[in-house]
Amino acid sequence: MTAARLLPFLLIASACGSAAGQGDARGPVVFADNCAPCHGYAGEGKPSIATPAIAGLPSWYVEAQLGKFRGGMRGAHVDDAPGLRMRPMARALDDEDVSRIAAHVGSMPVQTPDRSAVPHGDAEAGKALYATCTACHGPEGKGNEQLNAPPIAQLDDWYMVTQLHNFKHGLRGAADGDITGAQMRPMAMTLADDQAVADVVAYISTL
Amino acid sequence: MIEMLRPQVSSFAGEIDSLIVMVTLIVGFWYLLTKGMFLYLLMAFRAKPGQKAQYITGKEKHLKKWVTIPHLVIILCDVVLVAGAVRVWYNVKQFMPEAEQTIRIVGQQWAWTFVHPGPDGELDTDDDIAMIDELHVQAGVTYHFMLESKDVLHDFSVPVFRLKQDAIPGRRILGWFKPEVAGEFDIQCAEMCGIGHGIMGAKLYVETPEQHAMWVNDNSLTEVAAATQTEVQR
Repeated sequence: MTAARLLPFLLIASACGSAAGQGDARGPVVFADNCAPCHGYAGEGKPSIATPAIAGLPSWYVEAQLGKFRGGMRGAHVDDAPGLRMRPMARALDDEDVSRIAAHVGSMPVQTPDRSAVPHGDAEAGKALYATCTACHGPEGKGNEQLNAPPIAQLDDWYMVTQLHNFKHGLRGAADGDITGAQMRPMAMTLADDQAVADVVAYISTL
Repeated sequence: MIEMLRPQVSSFAGEIDSLIVMVTLIVGFWYLLTKGMFLYLLMAFRAKPGQKAQYITGKEKHLKKWVTIPHLVIILCDVVLVAGAVRVWYNVKQFMPEAEQTIRIVGQQWAWTFVHPGPDGELDTDDDIAMIDELHVQAGVTYHFMLESKDVLHDFSVPVFRLKQDAIPGRRILGWFKPEVAGEFDIQCAEMCGIGHGIMGAKLYVETPEQHAMWVNDNSLTEVAAATQTEVQR
C-alpha cells in the first residue's frame, strides 16, 4: 500500500487521537451520564438520597476520591451505605472518564450549601474546635492541595456531620492504603461527641 | 447440555437444568412439528391452475381428529411438564434441608454484603466475617441464607447455582443451597434497582474444606466483622 493510500487512514487516526487527547471535551457528557442522576445536573447534591454537592470541588480532590472508591479505600465498609452506592459507580469509570469528570466538576460553579442540619450547633464553641482543622483546611476552610486537604466551607452541613461521623467510627479513613483518610481520622476523633461535631460544623458554616 | 454453557455448582442445579431441557424439548418438538406442517400445507395446497378453493368446516369425524388428537397429546405433555415443575419446586423451594451453616446476605444499592459465621460456625456472634461483594462458602456444606434488602427490591442471582431469589425491603427471606464444585463464580442482581443495577455484581468463592478453613482463619476478628457485629447488636 502506498503512502498516498495510507493518508486517509493516517488522517482519521490523527483526528481520533486528538479528540481523545482533548480530555475534558466530553466531560459534561460523561458527568451527565454517570454522576448527574444522583448528584444533580448542577452538581448540587440530593440530601434525600445522601448524595453530596460536588460542584466546584477541586479536580485533584475529585480524582483522588474517585481513585479511593475504585481502589476499595472508600465505600468499603459494610455500614457505609452511601459509600457502597458510590463504589460501583466509580468502578464503572475508566481513567480517562475519571479525569474528564474531575475536570468538569472542578469547573462547575459552587452551589449554595445547605445550612439546616445543625440548628443546635454553637458556632462560638465550634470556633475553638476548628483550630485543629485550620492547619490543613485553612482558616477560611478553603483547603490546601499541598496537604491533600479539600475545601470544606462549601460543603453542606449534613454531609460534614456524616463524614465526621464516618471518620470517627472507621467507616472512612480506616481502609488499608487510605493515607490521607488515616490522617483525617484522628483529627475527627478529637471531636468528643455529637455536640462537638455540630459545633464545629456550625462554625465552618460561617466561613 | 446447559452445563456446557454454565457449570452446575449447586446440588439442585442439575434438577433445574433437566426441567429446562424437558420444557425445551417438548415445546420445541411441537413448535417444529407445527411449523413444518404449516410449510408443508402451504406448499402442497398452493394455488394451481384449475384447482378450486374448498371451504372445510372441520365438523366431520375424520377431519376433527386432526385437532382432537394433538390437543389431547398436548394436554398430556402439559401434565408431564407440570409434574416435573412441581417436583423441582418442592425439592428446591419447599423442602429445606438441615443447615450446616447459615449466612446473611444484605442487598443495597449497589452492593452485596455477606456475613459469614466465623470459627465458631455460628452467625451473629463476635467472630462473624462480613465481606462486601465476596461470598465464601465451602463445597459440600448445606447453607441456609437469610436474604435482606436495605433499600429497594434486589434479586440475589447466582447463575451457576441456578438460584434466583428476590430481596424485599422489610422482609427476611430464607433459602438454601449446597455448593458442590470448587471455583470462582459470578453473583449478580437480577432485579432493576436503580442506575447502578447493571454493575451490582459480586464474586462467589466455593472453596475446599482446607481453603475455607484458611480463609476463615485469615479473616476472623477483623475490624469489619467487629463493626458489623456492633451493627447487629444495635
